[in-house]
Amino acid sequence: MTIPIELIYRYPWLPSLKEFFSDIASKPPSEFISTIFSETFSEEIQERLFEIFKAAFDNLENVSYYKLDKVNVYLYLLLKILMFVLDNKIITNKIANLFSKINYNDLIEENDYNIYSICEDLKLDILYSEPMEYGVNILKDQREILKTSFRIYYTDYLKLISNLHDEYRKLVNNALYNGYVFIQKRRLIRLIQEYIRNKFEVEEDKATLESLKKELLNLPEFKELYENILSQWELKKEVFEYSFDISFKEGADISNTFPPCINEILSKAQEGQNLIHIERLFLVFFLHALNYPVDKIIDIFSTMPDFDRGKTAYQVNFAKKKGYTPHKCGTLKSLNLCMAAKYKDEICLEGYYSKKLDTKKKIKHPLFYVQLKQFRASRKENHTNNKLKNNNERK
Amino acid sequence: MSENKLLKKLFQAYYRENKSKIPIVDLLEHREFGFIPWDKQIMIRHMAFANVESLSKYLSDNGSRHVYSSGTLYLQPDNLNMNNKQYQGCDLVIDIDVDHFETPCKTNHDYWYCVECGKSGKGMMKKCPKCGKLKLKNLTWICDICLDIAKRDINNLIYDFLFPDFGIDEKDLKIAFSGHRGYHLKVENKKMRGLSSEERREIVDYITGSNISLEILGFKDLSLDIGLLRDNIGWSKKIILKIEEVLKNYSNDTIIKLFKSKQFGLSNDIIEFILNNKQDFLKILWNIDGFGPKKWENFLYGIIKEIGIRIDDPVSIDIHRLIRYPGSLHGKTGFKVQELSLKELDTFNPLDENNKNLDPIVFQSDIMQKIEIIEPNVPATKIKGQTYGPFAQGEIIEVPHHIAVFLLCKGVAKTA
Repeated sequence: MTIPIELIYRYPWLPSLKEFFSDIASKPPSEFISTIFSETFSEEIQERLFEIFKAAFDNLENVSYYKLDKVNVYLYLLLKILMFVLDNKIITNKIANLFSKINYNDLIEENDYNIYSICEDLKLDILYSEPMEYGVNILKDQREILKTSFRIYYTDYLKLISNLHDEYRKLVNNALYNGYVFIQKRRLIRLIQEYIRNKFEVEEDKATLESLKKELLNLPEFKELYENILSQWELKKEVFEYSFDISFKEGADISNTFPPCINEILSKAQEGQNLIHIERLFLVFFLHALNYPVDKIIDIFSTMPDFDRGKTAYQVNFAKKKGYTPHKCGTLKSLNLCMAAKYKDEICLEGYYSKKLDTKKKIKHPLFYVQLKQFRASRKENHTNNKLKNNNERK
Repeated sequence: MSENKLLKKLFQAYYRENKSKIPIVDLLEHREFGFIPWDKQIMIRHMAFANVESLSKYLSDNGSRHVYSSGTLYLQPDNLNMNNKQYQGCDLVIDIDVDHFETPCKTNHDYWYCVECGKSGKGMMKKCPKCGKLKLKNLTWICDICLDIAKRDINNLIYDFLFPDFGIDEKDLKIAFSGHRGYHLKVENKKMRGLSSEERREIVDYITGSNISLEILGFKDLSLDIGLLRDNIGWSKKIILKIEEVLKNYSNDTIIKLFKSKQFGLSNDIIEFILNNKQDFLKILWNIDGFGPKKWENFLYGIIKEIGIRIDDPVSIDIHRLIRYPGSLHGKTGFKVQELSLKELDTFNPLDENNKNLDPIVFQSDIMQKIEIIEPNVPATKIKGQTYGPFAQGEIIEVPHHIAVFLLCKGVAKTA
């Protein structure tokens, strides 16, 4: 056990938590919750918990009352149990985003040694050394030597970036030597933030969920806490539900013609998951290309944890003015945003039959996907209309 | 006896006589096996073997045309449902096969024929140039030149990427001659096995140089003399070193040919300018009159293509792919899929190997066989230093046993 306990207080998601707090790690959730409510800090923990939920529901990026003490460990565990029992993806994502951002801000303040210890505890293969030069960055007439003390083994790097599709994170655009990627401390911490966010992902186990929920709701204090959170959410959720209407196109619902890459981004947005830069761009360009009203596009982003209506409106309008076209399938594939395999989408995977060329053709652009689906739907409609017309004529 | 029956008997006999020589792949019992028989064009999949002895027995009993095993490890490799196989991880598999890229020799030995309009020609063709249809019948051949290119690429892969950049340990590498037109390479280590398809795509992009952002690598504002730098570890350095190598070591003729190719598409004026200012080009990189950002970009992407390894991407990305089993016979040639150490790869010459233990031409014999050529335009074949052919349709020829096996496996001849 090499990691200092203070780091566990600050970052209770660290794997060593189980060893330091083996007494509570072995307790069943109901017993753990009873213990918390019998402690002197019971009131404080509830107060801190509400602060977190309030901030998350208001799309804030920090919490006014957040302390890195021992209570933080209990708070984190209680939060995880609540997430499991609430079983609500939007709430979970909001909490995960907020919690990981708070932790990012604290991690940035840590010294190199602590960051290294945290990586070790996470079983990441990290090399720490005197700062090593790995390149030069030239900005205007300034020459900046790129140096870092951190290098991360490429397999661990790939695992950590798997949900972050920014171009600058791609392995091919990074300095890789002898199996290790040179990485700046800030970027490494951003990857740890992603790890923390993923820690909140709830595995679906309906049977366990139902029995645990029943058991925990028998505890009056927990029940009260749970219901308070739900009632807070009831007040807020309408805002998010209202914000999610993507079916508009000149009054007609064409959302059923969207390709899987767009559906994936939309469903992430709907669940309040944070969208990375490239996903946001692609979504905006795509919806602009289909002439979606600007207000409707802005509303989609209102579920984001960092939503700012003014900034979003400026960016969405700017993109419209510039008339950018959405990314091609090839680009989406390289950015790991192609969801053809995940959604087992026949059109994307197998292509379509081209009468003109008498051959199967692959879909190369998501907008063509929409066009093709609309064409097929109109053909079907014409076919049905003709059939009806013929039947009527016969009568 | 039909050709396929004859070849099956030959393969069975080979496996029977070489029972003890079939190599054992790591964790064989956790791999899925697949076989293509001689009598049907189907793949028999979802098979598993507890040990190499039972695999050997299967091979001598069936003499399969093609033998494959998975790079993937499963708890239940023989489960018929992919979802129930219990995936445990997958080796990184890299396939370098000249089938997938142009080589200068293809215009000598590869033929295509359009089933739709009847047009035919030499070389590599994906789409009929006359009618635009994709229904092409191809006759692909082997020669020293294309096999040398494949070998050069596998060496570049190892020495320019896997060792220096990925730090792969030599003991984790498994290299094999595919038995036809290329090489397979497997990286067998625990960390690599845990990577998902998406994560493998990142490795493929790195090896092939796909989706590089020149801007991120440092190619910014030429008016400020900002380009790529040799000091930057990774692709930036690779690109600069390659430019230097091309200009310093390539002959003018090679440079002209390269820069005129589709990959670069440079005009004669520009090529002449580069050749006349070779030394300056290296010194004053990035700030050359008449060579603006767009031209630089095209030039740099051309250089990237020169560096990137031409691998069959889906093989490396797919985590359920089957690849040829080492020591098995390739049904299109009758050659052995030969495992090689790195040192052995150095001197390995698949069509004329001196080391008996590494020789993929396992049916070598001086006994002459009479066969009849059934395809038009069968190219010349140089094996063991002797050239046979070219042959025309209907010709009855007498060739050594291994050449007869090769031509029968290729489907261009029948027993006479």
